[in-house]
Amino acid sequence: MSNALNGNEEIQNRNMKVLAFLVLVWGAFCVLGIRLFYLQYVHYEDNFARSENNRIRRMEIEAERGFIFDRNGEVLVRNRPSYQIVLDAQRMPKSREAKDSLFNLLLGIKDSSGRRMIDSASLDTAFQRSVWIKNRPIRILEDASPEEVSIIEEHSHELPGVYAITESRRAYPHGTLAAHALGYTSEISEKQLEKPEYKDKYNSGDRIGQKGLEQQYDEEFRGKDGVRTVEVNAFGRIVSEIKGMGEEPALPGLHLVSTLDLRVQEAAEKALPDSVKGAIVAIDPRNGEILAMVSSPRLDPNVFSLKRRERNRGWAKVALDSTRPLLNRAIAGVYPPASVFKLVTSGAGLEHGLLSVNKYYPHLCDGGYRFGNRYQKCWGVHGNLNVVNALRLSCDVYFYQAGLEIDMERINEFGRRFGLGEEVLGIDIPGERRGWLPDSASFNKRNKRSGWRWARGLILNLSIGQGQLVTPLQQAVLVGSLATNAGVYKPHLMKELRDRSGKVIKKFEPEIIRSGTMKESTHKVILAGLDSVVNHPGGTGKRGAVKGIRVGGKTGSGEWKKGEKTHAWFAGVAPLYAPEIAVSVILEAAGGGGALAAPIARQVMEAYFSRDSLAIGNNQ
Amino acid sequence: MKKDSILGKTKKMDWLFIVTTFVLMGIGVLLVYSATASTPGIPFYQNFWFKQIIYFTAGVVVAVGLTLVKITFWRNLALPLYLLSIVLLVVVLFFAGDVKGAGRWIDLGFFKLQPSEFAKIAYLLMISTWLSRHPVDFLKLKTFLMPFFLFIVPFVLVLRQPDLSTALVFTMVTLTCLFMAGLHLSEVFFIVSPFFSVILSHSQIAYSQLLWGAFICILGFLLYRRRLPIVFTCVIFLVNIFAGYMSTMAWNHLEPHQQKRVETFFNPMADPKGDGYQVLQSMTAIGSGGVTGKGYGNGTQTNLSFLPEEHTDFIFSVLGEQFGLMGCLIVLGLYFLFLWRAMEIAKMYSHPFVTLVTSGVCAIFFFHITVNIAMTIGLMPVTGLPLPFLSYGGSFAMTCMFLVGLLCNMRLQGYKMKGRN
Repeated sequence: MSNALNGNEEIQNRNMKVLAFLVLVWGAFCVLGIRLFYLQYVHYEDNFARSENNRIRRMEIEAERGFIFDRNGEVLVRNRPSYQIVLDAQRMPKSREAKDSLFNLLLGIKDSSGRRMIDSASLDTAFQRSVWIKNRPIRILEDASPEEVSIIEEHSHELPGVYAITESRRAYPHGTLAAHALGYTSEISEKQLEKPEYKDKYNSGDRIGQKGLEQQYDEEFRGKDGVRTVEVNAFGRIVSEIKGMGEEPALPGLHLVSTLDLRVQEAAEKALPDSVKGAIVAIDPRNGEILAMVSSPRLDPNVFSLKRRERNRGWAKVALDSTRPLLNRAIAGVYPPASVFKLVTSGAGLEHGLLSVNKYYPHLCDGGYRFGNRYQKCWGVHGNLNVVNALRLSCDVYFYQAGLEIDMERINEFGRRFGLGEEVLGIDIPGERRGWLPDSASFNKRNKRSGWRWARGLILNLSIGQGQLVTPLQQAVLVGSLATNAGVYKPHLMKELRDRSGKVIKKFEPEIIRSGTMKESTHKVILAGLDSVVNHPGGTGKRGAVKGIRVGGKTGSGEWKKGEKTHAWFAGVAPLYAPEIAVSVILEAAGGGGALAAPIARQVMEAYFSRDSLAIGNNQ
Repeated sequence: MKKDSILGKTKKMDWLFIVTTFVLMGIGVLLVYSATASTPGIPFYQNFWFKQIIYFTAGVVVAVGLTLVKITFWRNLALPLYLLSIVLLVVVLFFAGDVKGAGRWIDLGFFKLQPSEFAKIAYLLMISTWLSRHPVDFLKLKTFLMPFFLFIVPFVLVLRQPDLSTALVFTMVTLTCLFMAGLHLSEVFFIVSPFFSVILSHSQIAYSQLLWGAFICILGFLLYRRRLPIVFTCVIFLVNIFAGYMSTMAWNHLEPHQQKRVETFFNPMADPKGDGYQVLQSMTAIGSGGVTGKGYGNGTQTNLSFLPEEHTDFIFSVLGEQFGLMGCLIVLGLYFLFLWRAMEIAKMYSHPFVTLVTSGVCAIFFFHITVNIAMTIGLMPVTGLPLPFLSYGGSFAMTCMFLVGLLCNMRLQGYKMKGRN
């Protein structure tokens, strides 16, 4: 470096650089100054007006939840507007005294019946939250009535930061109808929020589907919330919308067309009074579509979208009820299949050539059967029977002997083919329970603790359906697929998902889940049995007959506790030789299946076929 | 030179500089007070404005102390301080994964140390020490080797935090010091030209091809005028062309969400929930101040908590709303006065160390001031750079006062530096 020689030049050079730096600073500050001039002088009026009268907010646009329709387009579930009284931290007074007086004022508001409108606990929580939740309004009164909204609006000048907003809530116009299949919505619980599958998708305060279709298809129903920028005035009301700030429209949720048929469902609901515990399942055996599903006693899903006080009352009522209305008995109630199971015993025997229409057992029915040192009674005296007549009269003695000859392994294998057993059928609503077809191994395993051991004598009970566990859904699937002999289809409630324009987004494709087939010769005899139960003299299920339609079916009276009335079963299918509907009915602890359950199944089928004749009539 | 006496020192004190600094600090406390005083039920010593006074008082003590440090110490301390800062940056990176949001801090119990603040100062001293002994020559690439190495280590560490804006502060200091240590202005321009090429040719910018074309023309003209060796000319030119085309190609290769992130950075209004809201509120607040402002304590935007982080990064909008254009221009004027008086020190002594430290300190201040204000008025992306003397915050107040102390030290003891080494 030649610093010694050019010292002067170097200093001059350095001073120029300092000057250059300052020029850069000057230039940059000038740009800032010009921008400030532009904001504060040129656009002063706009900005002042905006800051004085308006507030800019980012707001979430709630996506509307999809509806649920029945298969013919009747609305089963829709949305209703619901008013929420909210507290807006940005608009409420800041000083402690003013906050206190606002608190007391709100607490003092009474409705026309003189009751306090807002309870102090939730108000206190809201005020505490307002300290840190600044970006969204906090609810102080949920699902307010129009009267309550008008009271708040009258006092709006005294209540800074308090106003009403509208949100959309679920409405079930048919009340308790199909409540278990449809499910309900409620605010997401803290417990659910902690689970990984909910954590990222939901925020606290979100309403989420619980049980039934609402839970199963929650994501499809939800759609996607949007965002918009709005200007709100000093009272928190929206004045205008600001475009161009990254708004996203809300994407409404999909509509669900269910497989339920409102008319069939209504008939089923009517046939099964709320005072009786029980369930009805009607299914189309050709594709697994559930036409009706009733579980009694019922619950009203509307309760869960009411305001907290009423919701809690409703919840307590159903949750503490000893009859367990929350339980969907159609899929989660497990019962002994009773005499309906004789169809399986017969089928297994026929399939293996151990039974036939010409085979009679040496011990004819004289009212009972002696096995070892035990005497097992029959419910009547039936004499000499072949398999069809044994089914018609539901003779126990015949099936004791058949069961002993066929053995449980064969019987259970045949039952599993048609949807019975430990594997769930996989219906598209949560909560389905497994059934049970015991054999020696599983019986011993299950009764390990109690010390009960498998014995051959148990076959006597099992062959007439005492000892197994099935759900009403399995029972309907069983009788339906026995009649079709064309496979067991996965039962389902979702038929189609459609967007708002009606375009089908997703369709449920029928799916065979069990082989559900037997020899043609076996099939013929089983059909004859089903036919004779309903249509032949002395048949136990004659009350299930429908005029003009050939119905097949099987009754059952399940013993479950000594000294109590039996569970009444009826599982029917119609038209027998070209099945469209299979119905299973159970009434807990009611009595005989033929007397009580069969007429209910009849009403359901009648409703189904009256609809059909109506449709045919229209076409002609 | 002058006598080494107290009298001699006080004579050389730049009272205009000192007064400007105190005025800015005073304005800062007033603004923090008006932005946060409304917190009820808290004893006064827990309020932000009071804490700010404490920070500044402590800062003044530190600054006075630093002024009295023997100037030659700085050059001896530079390397240890630099190494210490690197270690701290590594430590903070190492712990970043463990505690959420603690990525930039080391908690010492009584004090939260922000290593990147400390690193700014240490790096400035280190690069100044090196460059004062080894001037750079654009045509001798060897001379850039060590400065580049000194720069890239803290730069990458800070970038990994990730703290882009602080990393850019390092860049700004480096460029200023290189400029002062021998580079011609056009040579600095050549160094940064590829980055301009990347940005100007970006397809999201209106008329990007025209802008970039014009830029390349200017570059070509400057290269022609400078008459650099042909290899240099070609490399610089080709790197620019390459950078320009790569920019578009790289952009097209990005995933949509990555593109969106870049867009949001350059255009905060496009971000629905985050930065756009802040900037819009800040611009509304400043604009509604008008020429004379709404008066002290009457800022509606501020008082209604519409402004997020109003007492830290967005303090300038509190100023703009309450004191209007006049207040803003006065503060800008004060900042200019401050930088001007500070840069005077660079001209006072012949030793390059004084020049380099002084101009580096000014570069840090200038970058913070410009980027922060530009952010509040919607001219630049939202970054976390606070505004010197005005923003609330202990760590940054300490940094500022440290730098002020360094400036005073240079001014009062600069004559002691003699010779090249």
